[in-house]
Amino acid sequence: MLVRRDADDIREIRPRAALGALICVCAMLVLVVRLYQLQILRGEDYVSQSIANFRKSLFVPADRGQIRDRNGRTLVDNRPSFDVFMTPAFCKGRERDEVVAKLKDYLHLEKEDVDRILGDYQKSWTSKDKLERFRPFLVELDIPRDQVDVLEAHKTEMSCVNLIPTPHRSYRAPPSLGHVLGYMSEVTPDEMDDHPEYRRGQTIGRRGLERRWEKELRGEDGKQNIAVDAKGRELDKDTQEALIPESERLIPAMPGNNLVLSIDERLQEAADAAFPGRAGAVVVMEAKTGFILAMVSRPSFDPNKMSGRITKAELRELNEDPLKPMLNRVMNENYHPGSTFKVVTSLAGLANDKLTPASTITCTGGYTLGSHRWRCDKPAGHGSLDLKHALQYSCDAFYYALGDRLGLDAISEMAHRLGYGQPTGLDLGREIPGVIPDSDSVIRAFGAYTKGHAINASIGQGEINVTPLQQAVAYAAIANGGNVWKPQIVQRIESPDGKVLQEFKPEPDLANGHNGKLDLPPQDLEAVRKGLVAVVNEPGGTAYRSRNPDIMFAGKTGTAQVVALGGKQNLKTESQTYMSRDHAWFASFAPADNPEIVVVVLNEHGGWGAEAAAPAASKVISAYFQLKKQPVGAEAVTASTVH
Amino acid sequence: MALGTTTEKKLDHLHWPLFICTIIICSLGVWNLASAAKNAPTLLALAQAKWMLAGFLAIVVLLFVDYRWLQTLAWPGYIAALGLLGGVAFAGKKVLGARRWLQIGSAQLQPSEFVKLAVIVILARWFTRDETGIRKGQYGLLDLWQPFFLLLIPVGLIMKQPDLGTALVTVAIAMTMIMFARVRWRDLLIMIGTAVAGSVVAWKRFLHDYQKQRVLTFLNPEAYAKGAGYHAIQSVIAVGSGQWSGKGWGEGTQNQLAFLPEQHTDFIFSVWSEEHGFMGAVLLIALYAFLVLAALDVAANARDKFGSYLSLGIAALFFWHAFINMGMVTGVLPVVGVPLPLFSYGGSSVLADMLGIGILLNVSLRRFMF
Repeated sequence: MLVRRDADDIREIRPRAALGALICVCAMLVLVVRLYQLQILRGEDYVSQSIANFRKSLFVPADRGQIRDRNGRTLVDNRPSFDVFMTPAFCKGRERDEVVAKLKDYLHLEKEDVDRILGDYQKSWTSKDKLERFRPFLVELDIPRDQVDVLEAHKTEMSCVNLIPTPHRSYRAPPSLGHVLGYMSEVTPDEMDDHPEYRRGQTIGRRGLERRWEKELRGEDGKQNIAVDAKGRELDKDTQEALIPESERLIPAMPGNNLVLSIDERLQEAADAAFPGRAGAVVVMEAKTGFILAMVSRPSFDPNKMSGRITKAELRELNEDPLKPMLNRVMNENYHPGSTFKVVTSLAGLANDKLTPASTITCTGGYTLGSHRWRCDKPAGHGSLDLKHALQYSCDAFYYALGDRLGLDAISEMAHRLGYGQPTGLDLGREIPGVIPDSDSVIRAFGAYTKGHAINASIGQGEINVTPLQQAVAYAAIANGGNVWKPQIVQRIESPDGKVLQEFKPEPDLANGHNGKLDLPPQDLEAVRKGLVAVVNEPGGTAYRSRNPDIMFAGKTGTAQVVALGGKQNLKTESQTYMSRDHAWFASFAPADNPEIVVVVLNEHGGWGAEAAAPAASKVISAYFQLKKQPVGAEAVTASTVH
Repeated sequence: MALGTTTEKKLDHLHWPLFICTIIICSLGVWNLASAAKNAPTLLALAQAKWMLAGFLAIVVLLFVDYRWLQTLAWPGYIAALGLLGGVAFAGKKVLGARRWLQIGSAQLQPSEFVKLAVIVILARWFTRDETGIRKGQYGLLDLWQPFFLLLIPVGLIMKQPDLGTALVTVAIAMTMIMFARVRWRDLLIMIGTAVAGSVVAWKRFLHDYQKQRVLTFLNPEAYAKGAGYHAIQSVIAVGSGQWSGKGWGEGTQNQLAFLPEQHTDFIFSVWSEEHGFMGAVLLIALYAFLVLAALDVAANARDKFGSYLSLGIAALFFWHAFINMGMVTGVLPVVGVPLPLFSYGGSSVLADMLGIGILLNVSLRRFMF
């Protein structure tokens, strides 16, 4: 039984045991080196990864600034609502499928929503940024109250899902202000690249004031850092306090600043109600400052709808509507001004001594140059006319003759001086310049300049194209004695606590080539104004039927031909198909003797300016003076203190 | 063998460094487990301490019995172990897709832990008795068919559970013992060479992607069950974030907030490294190294061949467990489920380890007695 070990055996076992010991020590040293690498060399990195594991950032959205009208009425504010977010890192594999199935059920999601959610989920995992999976992404925006209750009830089953109370934009203003206010929609990945302060699922201002003043309105989002366990469950208070330094627990949000507009909401509603057409624009502007009181572009869109969950079908309908509801007709579409342009030709004539207020031209029912005859509205002819009566009756032949004497460049120069042919500078996003041709541009376009171009331009036809906003600026300059104002719509920016941060003063339109002045003798402007007064207030004036018994105003009708000049002039408007009907214009100011406001009405395809535009302007003017008498106090205060 | 001289004299011969080292590892293990299982519903640390205490009692009792009785017990032990493995295969409790446990009353037994000891004992007996090595001067491959056969049966049964980690460790222990015998170097190289070349060629030439995937999943089921390498990643984060001195006992966020998988069993070393840092981790590695060196010391100084081989096998047992476990936790080795001796929670494993320590102490105690 006893086996003495032999010497061989001892000799054998000792060196081998020593070798084993050496191997063991070496292997353990490998581990030590590895630990040194992990814990010392890369320790910092792993510390931040371990923090990222348990640290969950909930963001605290900032309240976006409000937009109010000049009387303090709230046009846009925020209403409480809930967005649903999901953190990919906290639901993996089967849990993900369960959570998505539940969300589909509770939120009544469509298949396309589920696909989008799964796509976003996948992107978070495949992102190069390892922390991306810890960032919550948007599942559904602005869910209804009953769904909020359902999600709250099932909160514990879906620890990776968060309900984030997010104030959503509430547009209280009438939809006719849609183009002015703009709307909100989700930021695109490109925008997030440029502006890292935006997070996935947040909204950004689109169009109008929301876009222009995004920086002021947005404010700064805050952040709440909480600690969670591996299942995404929030930890108890003591652990929270131990893991998240106090200074990082809550970074409060900074609310955005408020905008106070020059818009008068009541006048806006009145202007929208007064406008009769399917499409067109109304601009009401303070004649002596350039501040806009009302601005209607029809058709418009509902910013609430655009900012909320608009369906693809609805969006398609908007985009395919031939009336282009997304087009702001006040500043982004141009039209022939028609006879409203005669004030420009008149002023050019007076300034270039081709005309005095007293000199006359005889209308024989048309004007012949070479082999071409331009017909006047009244085939029988107006007879001998001075400037006042030429404007009153809107005699074309008078202006054909004047245009012939002036040439296109003189008319063009005066048009630019009044603010046509270049953007007015209204700070509301993109604005088109319109078209004011001169002999150079005509030669470029047609090869040669003929007097015919000047004759067409003299009555606002041919290549002349203007925006309703430019009309307002030009007529304001005539009304106020020669100041070309840059139109403005924001009166001031206020901090959330009501401190005025920036106040906007009237600004001259420096782009007109005369430092925002017309540089015309007062009697020239007076002569044109007399004509415009006669248009409305003297029998035979084209807008005589729209005269206002309470307030004397002045204005000019215009009927801009859409089809080629001459052809269908005698057809009744009703018999023309809508799209080939003339545009109806009326540009006016009131009161006539001391103008406070300019009202421009454009009724697209409305027909005659006198019938389809002037009555609306008259109503707006009545509304303005009625509202002026009403105190704004009580109603406005309740409107702005409710929230 | 009856007790020779006085008990007092015997205590002088006890391998005290080994004994003290064991006690230190056990104490740290229980302390660490208390942190790892802080949020567990049952007091795992207390249960672990009870198993250790039972193990120490067993050691004390067994010290009075000469280890050479194990030669007699080798076969019955081996057959009993195989029987238990067979029992697992048919009546085992299925956990996470594998049958590894036998339910005995309210306790669960993991036979594979004891199989390792049985294999060590039977191989030690074989090498002690076999004369071929001495006769020829050294072993050729064919001379070793018996130990290979003895190894193959339990390993096959363990693989069937499946428990690749335990199977690998068992093979590693047996190979270590074989290599300590006088095996021809050429034959050793042939053995290793064919194994490596065979698997490489099979991997590259004959396996389809889906088959490779199956093999990978088989090798590493946990990692594939929950998204690629989640366990390994979280473990490395835990270890790395410990830095120099660790986050403190009970303060490890990876551990306490359950980002670490299996934190009280296979990934117990991550908990230790996260909470006690580089210094703590190196200390523990040093303790295990010391344990293995002490076991080798016992092997080198044993009075007979059987004692040497026994001690060698147990040294290998501790070394491979510690190295594979810590290597896997630190991302040096792939994730295979192998417990860290005396640190990972588990009654069978603790009991088996304590028996191993008992054998070492027994061998060293009797080194001067003839």
